Amino acid sequence: MSFQPTSFQPATFRIDGETIDATPRPGQCLRTFLREQGRFGVKKGCDSGDCGACTVHLDGRPVHACLLPAHRAEGREVTTIEGLSCCGRLHPVQQRFLDAQAFQCGFCTPGMVMTAAALDPAQRARPDRLLKGNLCRCTGYRAIREAVQGEIPAAGSRDVQAPGGRGVVDGTARFTMDVAVERLSHIKVLQSPHASARIRRIDVAAAMAVPGVLAVLTHRDAPAACFSTARHENPLDDVDDTRVLDPVIRFAGQRVAAVVAETEAAAERARDLIAVDYEILPAVFDPEAAMAPGAPVIHDKPAAVSRIADPARNVAAEVHGGVGDVAAGFAEADAIHEGVYESQRVSHAQLETHGAVGWIRNGRLVIRTSSQTPFLTRDALARLYDLPPERVRVVCGRVGGGFGGKQEMLVEDLVALAVLRTGRPAKLELTRAEQFTMTTTRHPMKVRVKVGAKADGALTAIEMRIVADTGAYGNHAPGVLFHAAGEAVALYRCPNKKIDGWAVYTNQVPSGAFRGYGLSQTGFAVESAMDELARRLGMDPFAFRRRNVVVPGDPMVSLDAGPHDVEFGSYGLDQCLDRVERALAEDHRIGGAPAGRRPPVARAAGERPGPAPSGAAPVGEASAGATPPAVGGPGEGVSGERPAVGGAGEGAAGDWLVGRGMAVGMIDTIPPRGHVAHSRIALDGEHYLLTVGTAEFGAGTSTVHVQIAAQALGVSPDRIRLQQSDTDLGAHDTGAFGSTGTVVAGQATLRAAQALADALRRAAAERLGAAVEECVLGAGGVTDGRRTVRLSTLAGVSAEGRADGTPRSVAFNVQGFVVAVHRRYGTLKILRSVHAADAGFVVNPRQCRGQIEGGVAQAIGAALWEEVRLDGEGRVETPAFRGYRLPAMGDLPVTEVHFARTHDRLGPLGAKSMSESPFNPVAAALASAIRDATGLRMTATPFLADRIHAAMRARAAEPDFTQPDFRTEETDRERHPAGS
Amino acid sequence: MRPFQYLKATNVAGALRAGRDASDDPSATAYLAGGTTLLDLMKLDVIGPTRLIDLRALASEHGTIRVDGDALRLGAFASMAAAADHPDVRERAPVIAQSLSLAASAQLRNMATLGGNVLQRTRCAYFRDPSWAACNKRRPGSGCAAVGGANRQHAVLGAGADCIAAYPGDFAQALIALDATVRLVGPEGARSIAFSDLHRDPKGAPHLETTLKPGEIVTEFVVPAARWARRSLYLKIRDRQSYEFAVTSAAVALDIEDGVVGEARIALGGVATRPWRATTAEETLRGAVLTEARAAEAGRAAFAGAVAQSHNAFKIELGRRTIVRALLAAAAMEVDHG
Ligand SMILES: Cc1cc2nc3c(=O)[nH]c(=O)nc-3n(C[C@H](O)[C@H](O)[C@H](O)COP(=O)(O)OP(=O)(O)OC[C@H]3O[C@@H](n4cnc5c(N)ncnc54)[C@H](O)[C@@H]3O)c2cc1C
Ligand code: SF4
Ligand code: FES
Ligand code: FES
Repeated sequence: MSFQPTSFQPATFRIDGETIDATPRPGQCLRTFLREQGRFGVKKGCDSGDCGACTVHLDGRPVHACLLPAHRAEGREVTTIEGLSCCGRLHPVQQRFLDAQAFQCGFCTPGMVMTAAALDPAQRARPDRLLKGNLCRCTGYRAIREAVQGEIPAAGSRDVQAPGGRGVVDGTARFTMDVAVERLSHIKVLQSPHASARIRRIDVAAAMAVPGVLAVLTHRDAPAACFSTARHENPLDDVDDTRVLDPVIRFAGQRVAAVVAETEAAAERARDLIAVDYEILPAVFDPEAAMAPGAPVIHDKPAAVSRIADPARNVAAEVHGGVGDVAAGFAEADAIHEGVYESQRVSHAQLETHGAVGWIRNGRLVIRTSSQTPFLTRDALARLYDLPPERVRVVCGRVGGGFGGKQEMLVEDLVALAVLRTGRPAKLELTRAEQFTMTTTRHPMKVRVKVGAKADGALTAIEMRIVADTGAYGNHAPGVLFHAAGEAVALYRCPNKKIDGWAVYTNQVPSGAFRGYGLSQTGFAVESAMDELARRLGMDPFAFRRRNVVVPGDPMVSLDAGPHDVEFGSYGLDQCLDRVERALAEDHRIGGAPAGRRPPVARAAGERPGPAPSGAAPVGEASAGATPPAVGGPGEGVSGERPAVGGAGEGAAGDWLVGRGMAVGMIDTIPPRGHVAHSRIALDGEHYLLTVGTAEFGAGTSTVHVQIAAQALGVSPDRIRLQQSDTDLGAHDTGAFGSTGTVVAGQATLRAAQALADALRRAAAERLGAAVEECVLGAGGVTDGRRTVRLSTLAGVSAEGRADGTPRSVAFNVQGFVVAVHRRYGTLKILRSVHAADAGFVVNPRQCRGQIEGGVAQAIGAALWEEVRLDGEGRVETPAFRGYRLPAMGDLPVTEVHFARTHDRLGPLGAKSMSESPFNPVAAALASAIRDATGLRMTATPFLADRIHAAMRARAAEPDFTQPDFRTEETDRERHPAGS
Repeated sequence: MRPFQYLKATNVAGALRAGRDASDDPSATAYLAGGTTLLDLMKLDVIGPTRLIDLRALASEHGTIRVDGDALRLGAFASMAAAADHPDVRERAPVIAQSLSLAASAQLRNMATLGGNVLQRTRCAYFRDPSWAACNKRRPGSGCAAVGGANRQHAVLGAGADCIAAYPGDFAQALIALDATVRLVGPEGARSIAFSDLHRDPKGAPHLETTLKPGEIVTEFVVPAARWARRSLYLKIRDRQSYEFAVTSAAVALDIEDGVVGEARIALGGVATRPWRATTAEETLRGAVLTEARAAEAGRAAFAGAVAQSHNAFKIELGRRTIVRALLAAAAMEVDHG
């Protein structure tokens, strides 16, 4: 026979060395098939060949399991991450990923490891191109590159490994969806094709008739109450404008109805059969237009109940404030710069999409979800469905990336509704397209800044006008706007300040919390403006900052003069400025170097905390061949064909214009208005059991908890066992957002551990008849110097600690770049990226460096490539990683990270927060480096090469474009010369 | 994804028979090679064959890469990775190896076949999202959402009002530049056509992309030996350094003797509706000394007939410069004609 029909017949598979007889469903892909065989290490990031999270080996070669029909694997050897290690021993690549701690959330790790494991040693030495099929959103790839290359810097004494790291590299770590639940039903959501509409009628009869359908949920089934998807300690901080299912449609992509069915296929089929009759309503897409009289009102809700600032004008939230008299300040100024800076819509793009699984056990609703705020989500679900909080349990597995996007309740409400309605366990896992069209983004902002200074550099006035596009819903609108109006301006000592801001509804995908929380957008504006002002004054940007930034003793003022609970618990901005300035000065020679001169970028390893760049890393590449490293802009395919800096024949810098730029960021270490954490720690035999509320999603707080507890209890970290993120364990915890994992939750853990240490010493002192002061707690027990009370005999002792997030300190970041811009192609290359951070005492330097590298990497993506584009009708045009350009390994430079030496008197062990803030100064530093190189001020992100190119061509017509007093406002007009 | 029936062919005859057995509705049956285009589009609901005929077993017959006489023979079922890494390909036609190794990702290159690669479908976002009503390629006669829509990625050459989608592949540019031929077998027997005749202009019927007859299978690509094939390269410009389809690209091949161009081949990717040979640009080079000015003239000639859409005017200038750079880089190559 020449062909065998195999569709419905059992087949034999070899999976991880096991022989399995199974019948893949018709049309099933290998990824879901393997997961049904319990291989949960095979992840889904896109389901379309873009991300590599599903990589497995087929006969030893890496392939994307999501694009392979399961039947294809018949008779072939399939190896998943869970079969890579053997007999309890990790594969060498897994071991190197563990040694290098080459992960944060760990969701990309199985795929990364599988791809890397198939490389030969020569390929491993140059992994950038070969790993381009694997995306990581967290790390910035430096640690991954080191793991693949096997060049792993030695760990320092404080570089404790993340708890659970072994599970991450061997694929056994369990993320949200990695559970097998019996009788599980599947939810599929019907989304609106229209941006503004009212549902006249929904006919679900045909959908209900599909075999296997359990329920079709519409607004008739949903609670009438409005809530906010945003999660904060105080629910009154947000506007109540959202329903689980709403008959009014406010953006294309909004949920219209949900099908609950026995299988995903049945749910999808039924979804397509729901008939909806929409009354199309006028829509508005531009925030300024939305505020204008006569614009359609998006939320017709009473302000008093919803807390919407001005429903009639579509203003979800507004801020107005300042100090002094800006008009007088500008009158005094010798130089003024005014410009409008725009930030685009950016997606969090966590590799794990939003999703939750729910069920009922012992009369209680249990929701397993991918969340940064399990306790707040529990409270919100209880409120929404009128259940006593103790009847609801919310738990998290490992969370595959958050970045603020999971400080929202975007799926749990619907899963709860399905479970409560059908009584059946139910799962909703968003697809990547749904993630782009149904969740949230960074707030696009248009920020007008006007700054003035005296000839000596002293600022006289700062004026800022913010228009934030909050999209169809106001989740996080007040908080983001407030924060945007805060530290970016408070950073500067200036007698006259005025700030006005509006967060405005439009009929577009909602904005929400995103790393930086508004500060990256205003930081881009303010820091760009400060650079222009310094240029106008002929001042160096570092000198200009030193002249104007706040120092201890100065008030920190933005919207008002206080009082605030923010203090200088420590101050390291001066050190950060010095360090970045020194680094950029070294590189400044590149631009003026005679042909072929090697840029002096390879330095002694001891000179900085980070590892020396290895031979194949971009920085090393730059030093080897005077060729700009392969980063940014349209890349060239032919290696070795890149024009070189200082190349022969074309003048000093050839076709490459080299420039440097810097920007500063300040951030309050904790968000305002309360952030609560509880920790409990108990002696449990020879171990301590530490219970905390925060989930682990890659920020590394689990490690910090363990380290803090271990240090306070005088034991090694492996003696601390951690349980976390389950509302049934431990007391209330606001959650892991606003960079609070270390400074609030860590503080609670420190207090709990110190209290436990005291209790243990007291108990032992009593038993020994010794004075408490003489007793010392250590790994073996409590000793008074002569006798020892073993820990095992003190069992049952426990203690709790609480932290409430006040008073707060400030942390600082300074980013510097050296870039090369191709005079004729507009190609941008980052030659050097240097970041200095004042994080107080750095509890775990390797991990903290990873946070900074990852933050800078995300910010480079947002500054250069990423954009959630909407069409004229509010529909997302970039609903896949294909069009939404996440940086891959080869796209990013190695960012050198330096830490200021400070010790914070407010934070636990002297630490400050450091996970959001590295993002904030990046776009402005890049823009200022481009400005330095080309004379062009890019005023809108992303700086795509064609935009740079078009701007350069437009500018080239004017002879004076390199003059320092070139007027930047004019560039606004020419911003999108080549379209979007 | 909709359920489908899955059949495995063990040889060409079996595949053709399976295709014929199911041929009441030709669009209901599809050949499955690496699946990286097919499964992707099925998941997106762009296509919905109810029957897949797996051709993987044909790799034993038509999956090798070899030198035959002077010609390079590339089996249609060889993986992209195998062809990209093959020493004969790298030496005799570097443009082919480069066009493949600069495409997709390592995993995809292991899965995807050469035959499937040349037949991949456009990445036009409207084509790939069935919730858009208008797309002549997906639903003949429904219009084109990209005209006047988001068309930064679309074609400036060969486009008409019917469809402006760019042909996304890289490998095809190398094949068309080197005058490759395609060998096919179908229910009516085997035949051979010029690679340049494989793809059709979108005019009138953008949903018909190739001249393949129903049931026909691509079995091999034959690349004739030529001096210029050795002095050839592929330059791919993308928005990101890695893992991205071309914004513009150029496959060029040159024969230069004593500084004078004997023969020149230029094909362009990312800018045209089908694999695109820039013959008038080639003519400007024959017999000339390849200076930057001369290369720029070739660039201008190549885009003489270009028509920009609302968002992609930059491609014309970028495309010209891509040609200039590719030509100058090829001229500077050190080539062993041995
Ligand atoms: C994320 C991603 C990134 C990519 N990036 C690039 C890139 O940068 N550059 C690039 O060029 N490509 C790129 N591709 C496209 C990729 O190269 C193609 O999908 C692949 O080459 C198709 O080969 P296949 O064997 O998987 O084809 P399949 O998906 O199996 O088949 C494709 C089509 O061809 C038909 N077919 C296949 N083989 C034959 C045959 N021998 N005879 C007749 N019909 C046949 C099938 O029926 C189907 O219609 C990318 C793809 C993805 C998913
Ligand atoms: S360009 Fe072609 S593929 Fe894209 S929408 Fe228009 S007709 Fe469809
Ligand atoms: S899930 Fe397969 S590549 Fe993303
Ligand atoms: S660690 Fe790579 S995606 Fe989170």
